[in-house]
Amino acid sequence: MNAQHIPADLDSIRTELARLKRDATTVSATTINFIVFIDDAQRREWVMERATMIGDKHPSRMIVLDTTGVEDGATVETFAGDGHSTIKSERITLSCRGMSAEELRAIAHALTIPDLPTILWWTAEETAGNPRFDKLIEIAADVVVDSSGSTRDDGAILGLSAFFERTRRRLALRDLAWMRLSPWHDMVAQFFDDAALRDELFCIRSLKIVSGSSAEALYLAGWLGSRLDWKACGHDEFCDRDGTPIKFSLVRDGGMRRVQTVAITTTNSTYVAEVTSDPGVVRLTVEGKKERPERLAPLQAIDNASLIERAILERQTDKIFETALRMVGAILA
Amino acid sequence: MSEITLDRPNLDENPLRAGVASNRISDPCSIVFFGASGDLMKRMLLPAMYNLRLGDIMPANFGIVGFSRSEFSPEEFRDEMKKSVDEFSRSGPARDPLWADFANKLSYIAGSFDDVAAYKALKEQLEKNDEELQTGGNRLFYLSTPPSVFGKIVEMLAQAGLGPKDNPKGWTRIIIEKPFGTDLQSARSLQATVGKAFDEKQIYRIDHYLGKEPVQDIMALRFANVIFEPLWNRRYVDSIQITASETVGVELRGGYYDNAGALRDMIQNHVINLLALVAMEPPVSPNADNIRDEKFKVLSALRPIDPDRVMYDAARGQYAAGLIDGKSVQGYRDEPDVAPNSNTETYAAVKFYIDNWRWAEVPFYLRSGKRLARKYSEIAVRFKGIPHRLFGEAGDSIDNNVLVMKIQPEEGVSLRFSAKVPGPKMHIRAVSMDFNYGTGFGVVSAPAYERLIGDAMRGDATLFTRWDAVEAAWSAVTPILDRWTQLKDDSFPNYAAGGQGPISSDAMLEDDSREWRTI
Repeated sequence: MNAQHIPADLDSIRTELARLKRDATTVSATTINFIVFIDDAQRREWVMERATMIGDKHPSRMIVLDTTGVEDGATVETFAGDGHSTIKSERITLSCRGMSAEELRAIAHALTIPDLPTILWWTAEETAGNPRFDKLIEIAADVVVDSSGSTRDDGAILGLSAFFERTRRRLALRDLAWMRLSPWHDMVAQFFDDAALRDELFCIRSLKIVSGSSAEALYLAGWLGSRLDWKACGHDEFCDRDGTPIKFSLVRDGGMRRVQTVAITTTNSTYVAEVTSDPGVVRLTVEGKKERPERLAPLQAIDNASLIERAILERQTDKIFETALRMVGAILA
Repeated sequence: MSEITLDRPNLDENPLRAGVASNRISDPCSIVFFGASGDLMKRMLLPAMYNLRLGDIMPANFGIVGFSRSEFSPEEFRDEMKKSVDEFSRSGPARDPLWADFANKLSYIAGSFDDVAAYKALKEQLEKNDEELQTGGNRLFYLSTPPSVFGKIVEMLAQAGLGPKDNPKGWTRIIIEKPFGTDLQSARSLQATVGKAFDEKQIYRIDHYLGKEPVQDIMALRFANVIFEPLWNRRYVDSIQITASETVGVELRGGYYDNAGALRDMIQNHVINLLALVAMEPPVSPNADNIRDEKFKVLSALRPIDPDRVMYDAARGQYAAGLIDGKSVQGYRDEPDVAPNSNTETYAAVKFYIDNWRWAEVPFYLRSGKRLARKYSEIAVRFKGIPHRLFGEAGDSIDNNVLVMKIQPEEGVSLRFSAKVPGPKMHIRAVSMDFNYGTGFGVVSAPAYERLIGDAMRGDATLFTRWDAVEAAWSAVTPILDRWTQLKDDSFPNYAAGGQGPISSDAMLEDDSREWRTI
């Protein structure tokens, strides 16, 4: 690694990049342009670590837009592959506190490699409505955000929902808070893979989710509701297809971004998926008239870098997510 | 947001499943491992099963039954299996509560492979699994025993009422380890036995090479890119070299290996399978039978080697003592369980031609050996030279383009091409452009056994070898086997451990004005 502070202009950056490349004998395949936006000095290191993990796995032109610095400037780094003669990834870090949204869009766009997909990882809390967000999504085909873990999960999701309602652009939006839930979607679905229990889905009377942050719980409820044609009837209540009320309770407990328990009560039984003392294992129980033997299921710990990687690999719109987001928007409205 | 119309939920399907990613195998089943006290079970198979469970790929309901001659109680078997997970699992030691749950699904039957009572006990255990573990009557038998008992086990299964015809409740499948037979005749005989009890769709002949990620990437490289396929034929390809070289000797497999040799152990299965993948026509779809149809077609087009040309179109070798990684190693004939005057080859090289429109007169050079300079497997496609030399100063050589598909230990693709050396003169130099899975995607591929056992449980036979391809592969090597059996090679041992193989192998290519890539 070889970072030298240079002016934040295109000529200086391109010259420095060319200088670094001259030292490498071969260049490996580059798969993505990866733009990372940072506006929080306290999270900067955390974000950079994860972005580097992505660069390690997916040879990329990484463009870090850092608005936390005092002075504008840039650094250019290259990262070697195993043989040290191959450049695996390039990272251009722009300290760009003073740049306008339009300047930021222009320089980021000029630094991307044509013909490669451009992915924006937006790490700021505020999404839609932020001028920089609105400008940067113009150059990205995929946008990754995280509504979870802040003090305003609800507001972040509501903002996203409103943005999605009004945008006319085809954009593959990924919310890490949603993606984190994929094992939980599978856990809950598992109960009803048993065809004899399937009609239970249509006599649900309550849903309780225990989670360390709200975003995951809201998305889980939104997903279940949208799959089963529920309507939002208030902040803590859905109505099923027949108009029967379903009580929804969200209990904040446990680690941030971690779901602890999902409990679904029907007119006959209670279905509970609950993390055991081993955080990597979930106990699935069905009690009541439709009782089933208890089962254990592994819960894969999914780190943020892996989630972003999944977003990069999937690269398409997710209709299930979009309908769940709309449902959450309706709950919160 | 555009309006999205989703199907109304109904009771025929689980409405929560739409869009929910799950790699979990849907059918519950019992898996029976014959040879459960063996090395393969300890090092590979049981750790693979445990990792499938950890990865949430195993079905919700499953049971695992070990069957072998060793006298273990069920508890002792579980303890042994825990030790093997602790030592060999890629995810680290077994940990509760998942291990306890996994161990509860393990059972064991002790008995010889022709013991009627043991098969009766096996049947009872499987019925017990169906009842207590809800395994649904689905059964997968895995034969990881010496090949000599494959036929007997199949016969005994049928006799005990454990064949597919006796199991109307669910499916019955069988995985058979390689080698499938020791020559064409014995392979046909084994097939006749297995075919009596199982239909072809129920037989999964495993070759763990085919479960390796880069092997699967051969098809992606060929059929997910437009730039290679137009060149992939006799007009542009000069020759293809397929190499599977090892630095290890026979280790503890001397007894088996001395009756097999490199041609049977590697060329007939692993290496010929690679040839099929690189030479086959595009399948009409990625389904198992379409791919296997194409593999069979290309193998059936292999030109039979004239017995009188075996000495020109094939070469064999046996390693003498030498140095591997700077350390002295003994010669093959001094290895445990190897005959002191053994005539078994530890190195084999063969030149094949494929008599079809695409590959007419393009030589395919195959080689595999033990105790060679480096451990690696690759397929190198060497393209023809340029038709007319425009560039290059005197003394510059313009090398042929070579596309290399690297299978192990490095996994990836490299392309050699010519480029101008910067400067006022038009010097031309060969450069290599590398793509490496390790650095390219930064992922560690799942072990082949995990992939393949999972596929067999799903009923996906794509990566398993169909009988017609096995038969075609045996047919291709039979003239060589026959000639080598008839004629002892008095030059053995004829290459030093740690070297490039025997001189006769180099000569085979020199006759064609070509040379092997350096190992």
